[in-house]
Amino acid sequence: MHEVLPKVFAARGADGSEIWCRDVVLERDRKYLVSAHSGTGKSSLCSYLYGYRNDYSGRIVFGITDIATFGIGQWCDLRCRHLAYLPQEMRLFPELTAMENVELKNRLTGYRSHGDIGQMFERLGIAEKAGEQVSRLSIGQQQRVAIIRALCQPFDFILLDEPVSHLDESNNRLAAALVAEEAAKQGAGIIATSVGNDVMLTIDKEYKL
Amino acid sequence: MSNDNGISKNLLWKLLRKHVSALQMVGFSLASLVGLVIVLLALQFYNDIKPVFSSDDSFMRQDYMVLTKTVSSFGSLLGASAEFSDGELDELSRQPWVRKVGKFTTPQYRIYGSLTFGNRALRTYLFYESVPDEFIDELPDGWGFDPAEGKVPVIVSRDYLALYNFGFAATRNMPRVSEGMIGMIPIRLTLSGNGRSETVEGRIAGFSNRLNTIIVPEEFMQWSNDRFGAGEQRQPSRLIVEVSRPGDKAISEYTAAHGYEIAGDKADSGKASYLLRLMTGIIITVGAIISLLAFFVLILSINLLMQKNSRKLQDLLMLGYTPAQVSAPYVKMVLVTNDTVLVVACVIMLVCRSLYLPMLASLGVTGGSVIVTVIVAILIMGAITAGSVYAIRRRIDILWRN
Repeated sequence: MHEVLPKVFAARGADGSEIWCRDVVLERDRKYLVSAHSGTGKSSLCSYLYGYRNDYSGRIVFGITDIATFGIGQWCDLRCRHLAYLPQEMRLFPELTAMENVELKNRLTGYRSHGDIGQMFERLGIAEKAGEQVSRLSIGQQQRVAIIRALCQPFDFILLDEPVSHLDESNNRLAAALVAEEAAKQGAGIIATSVGNDVMLTIDKEYKL
Repeated sequence: MSNDNGISKNLLWKLLRKHVSALQMVGFSLASLVGLVIVLLALQFYNDIKPVFSSDDSFMRQDYMVLTKTVSSFGSLLGASAEFSDGELDELSRQPWVRKVGKFTTPQYRIYGSLTFGNRALRTYLFYESVPDEFIDELPDGWGFDPAEGKVPVIVSRDYLALYNFGFAATRNMPRVSEGMIGMIPIRLTLSGNGRSETVEGRIAGFSNRLNTIIVPEEFMQWSNDRFGAGEQRQPSRLIVEVSRPGDKAISEYTAAHGYEIAGDKADSGKASYLLRLMTGIIITVGAIISLLAFFVLILSINLLMQKNSRKLQDLLMLGYTPAQVSAPYVKMVLVTNDTVLVVACVIMLVCRSLYLPMLASLGVTGGSVIVTVIVAILIMGAITAGSVYAIRRRIDILWRN
């Protein structure tokens, strides 16, 4: 990232941020935590990296390619095979069951077997909720479903926007372990954001936004 | 629709079918069906009936006309000739719209005809004419005359048969006759003039739509005029003209300027043909407007549907679904609907056609090809489908950018 700054912050300036208006390099196989207060552009950062917003100045480069040059097809491919994302608002489909939500992603990537998915539901303690409509799940349960869905694809980086904001300590630990394990298997990097309730990972580097 | 996990196979459709309004789809289907059926029927009807206006032996054939001189009481008092002089004939033949001019030859003797069938007989003074064979629309078998045989074939206007069958026979309790039967009824023609009187056998050999008179072969006319006529050459008073440009204004101008009259003015058929085209055009336009409105209904309901489901569509794009994958359920919905409309419309058109064709059979309409109509149907529905698919894709592209 070269001197990236959301356009709405242009007047205010970087204001002591360790990311905005700096050159930041994020590498695979490492774990990053971006800690921030509300309103400092944490979700904006995720949306820039995931390619669904481009209202920033500066440059974001994947490898050697400026992401501003990516077309729709390239973004779709990235989202299926290289970049996993857990949005803060989760974006599950409330009228589908937990399992259907996960399947919707997995059918696209064909990455996980039914057994794998079942195991992940077990590990996060929501196996009995798999057939339940998402609208009837608690926020914490929904967060775990969303984490499982995000893991249903191969990735170089996984982008977790406040992944454990509604999880208690034991569930935080379980979820963090699952994500860390999958990332390690693929040699992938983890970028997690937090406004206080940090995901229980051993962080290699922390940035203050 | 579900696999071993109890999960619907088509999750996308399960997700995106929400807000699909059955009412709107039925509304679109009906409207586009009505529009398409109107267009197709008008087009097919026009194609079926077109030969009536253009084929060679059609009663609407426009490019022959019969010319006479206008008979006015004033003119006959002054002794103006009702016959065409050689000069007038020459001038007429030189007109650019004239292809061929034929003369009607009239007999120079009296004819008394009798016709017997069953035990009834009709006897009357008769009149007939002859024209060159090339002007006769349907030359019957055995046309011609051989004095040694003495049999005369006769062509009468088809109108006469209709007049007899539906007018005379019906009121007099006489049997109706078909075209085939009438040929078997012998006619005896008694010709008298030049101091002699002889009887020859005749038969009705054929019917004409073009010539509104009784026609005998030219050979017979020549032979009988030589034999019973006074021996003088007479100029023709009626001409048959084949024109190259029917409906040309120059024709009516020329005939009016020279005081000629066009008998049985076939220019009317030109008007009928024009009216048919005009009506077909109007009906097709109405159908096309209905189709167009139906198309707008479809576009509106698609936009509304995608507006209502825009959040879901965006979330699917976030998951990595491509715009093509996301739009597939709606594209499929449009395709299935439009294909159904297309097939149903073609079936309705064919059914209606099978109902009206028998009614037109008496005009000699056998029906044109339906291929053109079906191709037009496919093109119209293809255009509507392409337009809708484009609208769907455009909508998704807009969602992508926001």
